[in-house]
Amino acid sequence: MKRLRSSLVPAVLACLVLGGAWAGQSGDGGPKLASLLPGSGDAQGWSRDGEPQEYPGQELYTYIDGGAEIYHEYGFRAVIVQDFESAAGKSVSLEIFEMADPGAAYGMFTFKRSGQGRSVPLGSAGALEDYYLNFWKGRYVVTLTGFDDSAATIAGLLALGRAVDAKMGETAEAPGLVAALAGEGLKPGSVKYLRGLLGLNNVYPFYTARGLAFTAAVKGDYESGASLIVLDYGSAQARASAWADLNAALENAGRFKRTGGPDAGVPLFLDGQGRYAAFRETGDRLAVGLGANPSAAIAIAAQAR
Amino acid sequence: MTRTLGRREFIKTGAGAGLTLAMARTLAAGSAKKPLTKPSVVGVGIGEDYAKATAKAIGLLGSFKTFVPKGSRVALLPNVQSRHPGSFTKPEILRAVIGLCKKAGAKEISCLSWQPVKQFEDTGLKAVIESEGIGLRLFEKDESLFRAVPIPKGVALKEARLLAALDEYDRLINMPITKDHAGNKFTGSLKNLMGLNSPASNRTFHKPNWKTDPDDIAHLDQCIVDLNMAVKPALNVVDATEILVSNGPFGPGQLMRPEKVVAGTDRVAIDAYCAGLWGLKPDEIVQIKRAAGQGLGEIDLLKVVVKEEYYY
Repeated sequence: MKRLRSSLVPAVLACLVLGGAWAGQSGDGGPKLASLLPGSGDAQGWSRDGEPQEYPGQELYTYIDGGAEIYHEYGFRAVIVQDFESAAGKSVSLEIFEMADPGAAYGMFTFKRSGQGRSVPLGSAGALEDYYLNFWKGRYVVTLTGFDDSAATIAGLLALGRAVDAKMGETAEAPGLVAALAGEGLKPGSVKYLRGLLGLNNVYPFYTARGLAFTAAVKGDYESGASLIVLDYGSAQARASAWADLNAALENAGRFKRTGGPDAGVPLFLDGQGRYAAFRETGDRLAVGLGANPSAAIAIAAQAR
Repeated sequence: MTRTLGRREFIKTGAGAGLTLAMARTLAAGSAKKPLTKPSVVGVGIGEDYAKATAKAIGLLGSFKTFVPKGSRVALLPNVQSRHPGSFTKPEILRAVIGLCKKAGAKEISCLSWQPVKQFEDTGLKAVIESEGIGLRLFEKDESLFRAVPIPKGVALKEARLLAALDEYDRLINMPITKDHAGNKFTGSLKNLMGLNSPASNRTFHKPNWKTDPDDIAHLDQCIVDLNMAVKPALNVVDATEILVSNGPFGPGQLMRPEKVVAGTDRVAIDAYCAGLWGLKPDEIVQIKRAAGQGLGEIDLLKVVVKEEYYY
């Protein structure tokens, strides 16, 4: 953990300026996380409470013991944490996560949002939940947590969020794979962008790793009750090999049972939750449709783009 | 009282020497495949007064002195994950358990942890510990402060690395909060014991090649189960009052408020009950299923006596 001491900032700044570098930049050209923190006056009525704490790389395990792996699966660089307080005695905790790339930031944002929150115009996308909010922008995921759900706290979350947003210059689009989800009936807040098994296991466990060495994946839920997962393997050859492995694993898994459906050409399984899973190979990708009945599962798998 | 013990101080106090037998006698009691002669009992206290719900849950199990005889030295293990709502054991529950231990005539009561003091401060647990006058023993993440405990019947983990100071206590009360977990969907009494195992050992629960090696996918769950064969708490008191059901274990995430405190000695039965609180099937949670398979407890709640009562 690095404690940032405000008394050292002028000296560090001077050294960097003399050395020809811009003090507001990190080694890879991005801004230092501390420079993204709201200062006095940036969010009216809110001021910093204590010193910021920064946890780079593997030090994330110190901050999030038992929950850091998912950040590393997406690609994690560092996090800075700063508390704020209001004159009315409210508290908000701000976390700015610097991820390895915009896809990692988008993915972590989708992983953290509940899908039940209200969309807010922060960063590239933001979601306000009962007592916290998340947004992403460029390589950053920002989480603001209040400690009650009062109007004053919610206003503080939004004000501090806007202040951070204004300091971030980077922007990026969501990964192209997201477009593989069929648009009609898709619940936008349900979309999860995944980069590994940890994330996949959270949204739909296959209880195996065989055939699941995908490069990226995306899952979305639909108004119909069906869900669609699209796994991208990077090449048709890799996809074919992976599907052969996954198919074999499911055939031998106690939690999945192969079953017949209306289309004999579509592999169909009944999972341990009583849902049907239909599989469709398409180019570099494997589409998995999940539905309450075979037809629904097959139909949603067929809609993958 | 807060003490953070480094290796040198630990050795100086003599706490690290010659104390292995005590734990072997009382805590390291893996019970693989023992036939269950009596059905497990899970006590559930319900209500918004968490202290009273705690007392009710434990009271439903019988006399507290069964778990903490007079003169016992008691180690407490609350969860201090973060200060995000639903991620840490509530201070009111800790206070209630401390009160019961005192009433039972415990000789010494201490919370043990290798987490930083800030976690205890931010969660309000330190204030309870200080006002109740019990010990808070915090340890550096120094491997010399942990000792090896063989797990002969461990499937993935053959050796735990438990806080050596645990040997100084006769009884362990495991005090997790049940909640979502990004790694294995669920955390409860089984997983909380990682709080006694060394951080370095815990890291090995996540294999570096688990993304590509099919055999590694359930490695974390299997290690948790194996660890539970090395430690047997005298009692588990689980916070299920306000819990994270998404983005766990750290949060922030969606909260559910069952307003329950769950107590018992059968960790598998307790976790099976808690998983059901937010719609998870126990046999879909790998750690619970495997723990049952290794004889650590009963996963089928139809074979468990679940006593649920409001505190009033």
